Amino acid sequence: MTVSTVGARAPRLTLRRRRQLAGALFALPAVALVIGLIAVPIGQAIYYSFTQWNGLTSTWIGPSTWTQAFHNPNLWTALENNAWLLLAVPFALGLPLLIAMLLHQRVIGWKIFRSIYFLPTAISWVVLGLVAERFFAFQGTLNSLIHFFGLSHVNTNMLGYESTALSALGITFVFTMIGTNTMLFLTGLATLDTSLEEAARIDGAGRWRIFRHITLPHLSRFIQLAFVMTVIALFSALFSLIFVMTGGGPGYATTTMEFLIYQTGFAQGDFGTAALYGLILFVLTAIVGIVQLRLIGSDE
Amino acid sequence: MAEITFSGVTKVFPGDVTAVDNLNLHVADGEFMVLVGPSGCGKTTALRMLAGLEEISSGTLSIGGRVVNHVLPKDRDVAMVFQNYALYPHMTVAQNMGFALKIRGESKAEVDRKVREAATILRLGEYLDRRPRALSGGQRQRVAMGRAIVRSPQAFLMDEPLSNLDAQLRVEMRVEIARIQRLLGVATVYVTHDQIEAMTMGDRVAVMRGGQLQQVAPPQVLYDHPANEFVAGFMGSPPMNLVRARISPSEGRVGLVVGDQRLDVPAAYGASHDLPREEGAEVVLGVRPEDIDVVGGDVTGPTLKTRVERREALGAEILVHLSVADAGTARSVAYDEDVAVARPTMLVARMAPQARVEVGDVLTVRLNEERLHFFDSTRGVTLRRECA
Amino acid sequence: MGRGALFLVMVGVAVVMLYPFWVMIVDSLKSENQFLSGHGFSWASWRTLTSTIPIAQEVGSSTIICAVSILLILLVGLPAGFAFAKLKFRASGVIFLAIVSAMMVPLQAILMPEFVNITRLGLTGGYTGAVLVYAALGTPFSVFLFATYFRGVPDELIEAGIVDGLGYFGALWRLVVPVAIPAIATVTVLQFIQIWDDLLVGLLFIQNTSERPITVGLAVLAAGRTTSIPALMAGSLVSALPAMIVYLIFQRYLVKGLTMGIDR
Repeated sequence: MTVSTVGARAPRLTLRRRRQLAGALFALPAVALVIGLIAVPIGQAIYYSFTQWNGLTSTWIGPSTWTQAFHNPNLWTALENNAWLLLAVPFALGLPLLIAMLLHQRVIGWKIFRSIYFLPTAISWVVLGLVAERFFAFQGTLNSLIHFFGLSHVNTNMLGYESTALSALGITFVFTMIGTNTMLFLTGLATLDTSLEEAARIDGAGRWRIFRHITLPHLSRFIQLAFVMTVIALFSALFSLIFVMTGGGPGYATTTMEFLIYQTGFAQGDFGTAALYGLILFVLTAIVGIVQLRLIGSDE
Repeated sequence: MAEITFSGVTKVFPGDVTAVDNLNLHVADGEFMVLVGPSGCGKTTALRMLAGLEEISSGTLSIGGRVVNHVLPKDRDVAMVFQNYALYPHMTVAQNMGFALKIRGESKAEVDRKVREAATILRLGEYLDRRPRALSGGQRQRVAMGRAIVRSPQAFLMDEPLSNLDAQLRVEMRVEIARIQRLLGVATVYVTHDQIEAMTMGDRVAVMRGGQLQQVAPPQVLYDHPANEFVAGFMGSPPMNLVRARISPSEGRVGLVVGDQRLDVPAAYGASHDLPREEGAEVVLGVRPEDIDVVGGDVTGPTLKTRVERREALGAEILVHLSVADAGTARSVAYDEDVAVARPTMLVARMAPQARVEVGDVLTVRLNEERLHFFDSTRGVTLRRECA
Repeated sequence: MGRGALFLVMVGVAVVMLYPFWVMIVDSLKSENQFLSGHGFSWASWRTLTSTIPIAQEVGSSTIICAVSILLILLVGLPAGFAFAKLKFRASGVIFLAIVSAMMVPLQAILMPEFVNITRLGLTGGYTGAVLVYAALGTPFSVFLFATYFRGVPDELIEAGIVDGLGYFGALWRLVVPVAIPAIATVTVLQFIQIWDDLLVGLLFIQNTSERPITVGLAVLAAGRTTSIPALMAGSLVSALPAMIVYLIFQRYLVKGLTMGIDR
């Protein structure tokens, strides 16, 4: 038997090498995009945060930019506003949980209700902000409602006052999060094994006990995910609402970190400080993000 | 069509796990070779190396006289049938079967003709336009076969192709695959953990364990003359009984002691087997369940006094579990674990359903003295001398 | 709670959730004077919509930006997801983790360098800058989603293709992509809604007003506070329609995407 040795010689690329090369090649565009437009800017932000920078020229100042920034009352106002807005999170989670429980009862037409409840999710927060502005306005729905209930002497203008504008923003935020979070919780409820509930009912557990000891623990992963998504949205997705509803005002009453970055950079042209603020926001979301990664990680 | 040769093929996975250890195996042109062994024995790795899906760490592998160590799968001209079939879900049956030909650049008419031909052989004609999702398990299995057939490759590689089917279909497809293979005469390497498939389908069977080839032989030879305890225990269901015994020479016969019972076996074994001669030397005695008979009172030949512990009626036969009186402990069947587990010496006997045995009966059983097996008590290899 | 009471509560919630649509519809069906007085209906704002807001151009811009960005996200995300799930290469695990982490970086955190980079490259003139930023922001999630999806695809499917004569590119294009249609739908729907509804990127990375997407157009008009509310509401309704339609048709893919990685 003659044995040809064509295949015996090691080729330039073995199969395993080919697979690895293909893998690296396939991942390359995504990696390049993320490096170029996300990772590099983070590095640049760190550099520029130590400089005086107007977008064209930058002069190295050093760490004093940071001490300066922390002495700026606007930064503290923005952080404070963000902190106050965190009070909206329980509502942004609680209301959807209730609504999801309602939908889960599957009364007549629940599928139609589900679609209706989720529908605002599709709408831009710019548009929802416009509508919210109408709601809170002097001749808006809120005052009509108040008058309808007999309090005709009360006339609110929540967006017009420093004391109430942030609350109005928070309420709007809760509304915008209802669809997404309800969707999450409803999915969670759908994966709940009904035989568990039935078994508990046979064991004589009441509604509350079933909710507390069976439904809620089952939903915990979904609630965690919703919590993280809600907080991240709170830190980084309010821009549209603020832009159309208040422009950050009155004063700095509704200026959050993300809006402060925009204002500092684009209204005041202080790119260096804005980059520095960006890093602070980055750290804040990174803390939440680590929680999120652990959620994903625990799944694999 | 071609022959396949593994020579000294070894696969070491990262982390120094040797999956296949110095495998030497020759599959003749047109031969149906079954690779069998418990999970993790290296049979699938061997097949995947043959397909080119896994690299070879050392040794040479050739198909049709061509060394293929570094040949890409697509250039090896082999077709593979996967355990889960791996049908392309978005393609119809016909497209699935014709895909490899299409890639190869054959004309549409040619592809069509070959697909129809294969569909006829596999009786898939009416399903050609369906998607895999709309097929039953058995039909999917046929499509997977069809995908291999249309290519008329040098070799078929099948990785447990029947293990996802229910018992009845498996029996049907066993016959079907063997029929098609014989019809096409293509060299086939068939991996399975099921010794019945190995026995019924293979021209020859290669038994593997722990990455090492234990024995290659036609099924009946494996059954009748297992090369070692592992093969003896793996082939056949229930497996061969393996009992630890000590040599105790007596005049003219080979004397054995099991526990404290004496057992005389024909002197011929002394000639055909490489039995130890010194008093008290240990061997492992093997006897198949069908080679144990109940006998009354005084008989000659190798007999043991036993007690019936359990009785399993299987309809056509009964399996009687016997404990050997005063036998101490015996070696456990070797392929479970490498360690011998101490437990009462048990024998399983296969008997006709008419046999009147009840649990608790004390029976004298005779071992078929023509069909005894002896293995080295430490290495497990057969003590039989090669009959040239 | 009885079934009847339950139903009433659900209707009540529905009223709240439909409120934005009601506002948009009712306020858009008024002339400016009618709006101020609060009485009467008219088609005036709809009739003059195209002259108050360059609606056709803006919807067109939005469509182009969405389409190209999503295409780019898919073109980049599909092979990467395949690579991370099935073609492990050196350090692929770490790189995957890094990409997934990028999901958590809000644009505002890197807004200044990003803006300067894109401007310096001269990409704020057309749609290119915005499309690149959208693609970069959408890529981490799509890579994560595709990788998760492909992990569920049996290795044998790809191996069968390899034995049948495909290379890895062929396997990706002819086997993996067709199998990934549901995941592609999920990414497309989520990104469509995300990009269509976004303000910040469009506001900063598209310099020419004649290339403005609809959401930016509305926001800028609203912030200017000179445009009539009825016209703004009519424009809002127009801008909301495409996303709503996409959402209503592909609802289930949206839900799937949101719960990816937690509900498998």
